Amino acid sequence: MNGRSTLRRIALAAIAGAGLAVWAFPVIWGLLTSFKTERDVLAYPPVWLFKPTLDNYREVIFGASSIVPNLWSSFVVSTSATLLTMLIAVPAAYALARLRYPAKRASGFYVLATQMLPPVGLIIPYYLVLQKIGALDTYAGLTVIYLTFSLPFAIWLMVSYFEDVPFEMEEAALLDRAGRLRALWYVILPQVRGGMAVTTIFVFLNAWNEFMFAVVLGGNRVRPVTVAMFNFISVEQTQWAKLAAGAMLAMAPVILIGIFAQRHIVKGLTVGAVKGGGRR
Amino acid sequence: MTGIGRVRVEGVVKSHGVTTVLHGIDLAIEPGEFFVLLGPSGSGKTTTLRILAGLESVSAGRVLMDGTDVTTQEPGARDVAMVFQSYALYPHMTVAQNIGFPLKMVGTNAAEIERAVTAAAAKVGIGHLLQRTPGQLSGGQQQRCALARAIVRQPRLFLLDEPLSNLDAKLRLETRLELHRLQRSLGVTTVYVTHDQEEAMTLADRIAVFMDGRIVQVGTPREIYARPQTIAVAGFIGTPPMNLLAGVWQGDAVTVSGRRLPLAVATSTPRDVMLGVRPGDLRIDAGGLKARVERVEDLGDSSIVSFMADERPLKLKSDRLPPVREGEDVFLGFAPEAAHLFDPHSGLRL
Repeated sequence: MNGRSTLRRIALAAIAGAGLAVWAFPVIWGLLTSFKTERDVLAYPPVWLFKPTLDNYREVIFGASSIVPNLWSSFVVSTSATLLTMLIAVPAAYALARLRYPAKRASGFYVLATQMLPPVGLIIPYYLVLQKIGALDTYAGLTVIYLTFSLPFAIWLMVSYFEDVPFEMEEAALLDRAGRLRALWYVILPQVRGGMAVTTIFVFLNAWNEFMFAVVLGGNRVRPVTVAMFNFISVEQTQWAKLAAGAMLAMAPVILIGIFAQRHIVKGLTVGAVKGGGRR
Repeated sequence: MTGIGRVRVEGVVKSHGVTTVLHGIDLAIEPGEFFVLLGPSGSGKTTTLRILAGLESVSAGRVLMDGTDVTTQEPGARDVAMVFQSYALYPHMTVAQNIGFPLKMVGTNAAEIERAVTAAAAKVGIGHLLQRTPGQLSGGQQQRCALARAIVRQPRLFLLDEPLSNLDAKLRLETRLELHRLQRSLGVTTVYVTHDQEEAMTLADRIAVFMDGRIVQVGTPREIYARPQTIAVAGFIGTPPMNLLAGVWQGDAVTVSGRRLPLAVATSTPRDVMLGVRPGDLRIDAGGLKARVERVEDLGDSSIVSFMADERPLKLKSDRLPPVREGEDVFLGFAPEAAHLFDPHSGLRL
């Protein structure tokens, strides 16, 4: 029995290690590349031992091809999209989870249906609409487009958190003369705050990592970091080392959020799996 | 508090689509009364309580409180407090915040809230737990916290939905006594839902027995036990429930399986009846009904003997152990005045 469980543990560790390697390889490759000179990057056979340099980081932060303005663009778009999404998604999800109103099922399905559309199919209509109203290459334009996919996702996620709060708790608040809005504020929202944190993080990360809409609907004024990194790839050459340094900087907030919010994120992913699992 | 808390329910019907769960409920509850809604699961008692709370709308009929029609009033406007079966405590608040919440919602100042919370918590014996959260309390303490939240604002009506069902047997007995004492000391009209007849019998001033969405009898515990109005009530009230035997009533006796069993009442015309005898009224009697002893259960302070008489199960309850053995044939009788007679077709008491 003991031998079998040790064997089992080794096998599990091996499988987990293989999975981790597949995920980690590009990140490690990118990290190493960001400290190499262009010559070392292109060396064949690849060099594993090299003299690290910070030139690439200096260039992408302070140089002519600085991505700092683009990080700012990403921050503005992602933050605005996240704030607006949460502002709309929380009451919408509450209504879907709790209230009885005509066409509730239809509206619930509509929220999910928008998630089923392939985003690439929407680019041209979005482009034409934004062009028509003069919102191409504006923060407002890109933020509104981000709402079209972040809102259904956030509503769908928040509904499951609201449904996790017992009905009786809200009824008790109504009997305690809280009224519906104050019951939501004092009793329901504090219990879904963990879910709100997870949803906020997911929405922010989705917006931060978005590339396709940004490259088509952005421009010279609004150019998120995902698009800016594309500048390091040109017809003449690809500046792999600077691209890698840019990618590391762009990934930093994602990884930091991941580390700090790991506990919430894992809970968020397993919501509904265990009764009351995602309540706090 | 005396004088307020009068409740009238008039012809209340509740339907969910094609399913009707309440078929015209009428109730009159007097100020200060401890009124129990008793019935099996799905009989409509909790729905009635929720209608009183304003948490369910009615399909027809109306609800009056102290003469005012509150049928369409919001729950918060009715001045009622409710203790839920699950207690519904707010898990992110401390006990003190939970108890003080109803006062905070009406803008009571902090000093007054603190005074009222301390008083309410002391009344239910949780004064030392005010800074804990519900998750740090035992089931009994949570129940008390829910009670304190209900009494803190002195409502005109308490609604209690099976508040003892989540407690263990010993704690349930203790809490039952305290609940009764609390209700008497506050004098607030109380409507209490339970499926546990022992709870109903010990707590209630009056009981309404619910069956299949209808009230089949309203009365004091003694009246309901001594004179059940239908076969269904007779079969529901009492532990074990009343023995029921089909027979023919003729003159001053009822004939069951060919044996004449004397009654205290007489009829001039023979008729089919359902004879009911409480297990406590059944006794071993040479002139009675032949039955075989199936099982003798010794409960220490009393005993229950199960019989089979002509394929029909019967139970006898006695405060001593009857001198019978399992498998033995005996004869069972009862005092003539202990018999209950029902119409087998309508189910009504004769």
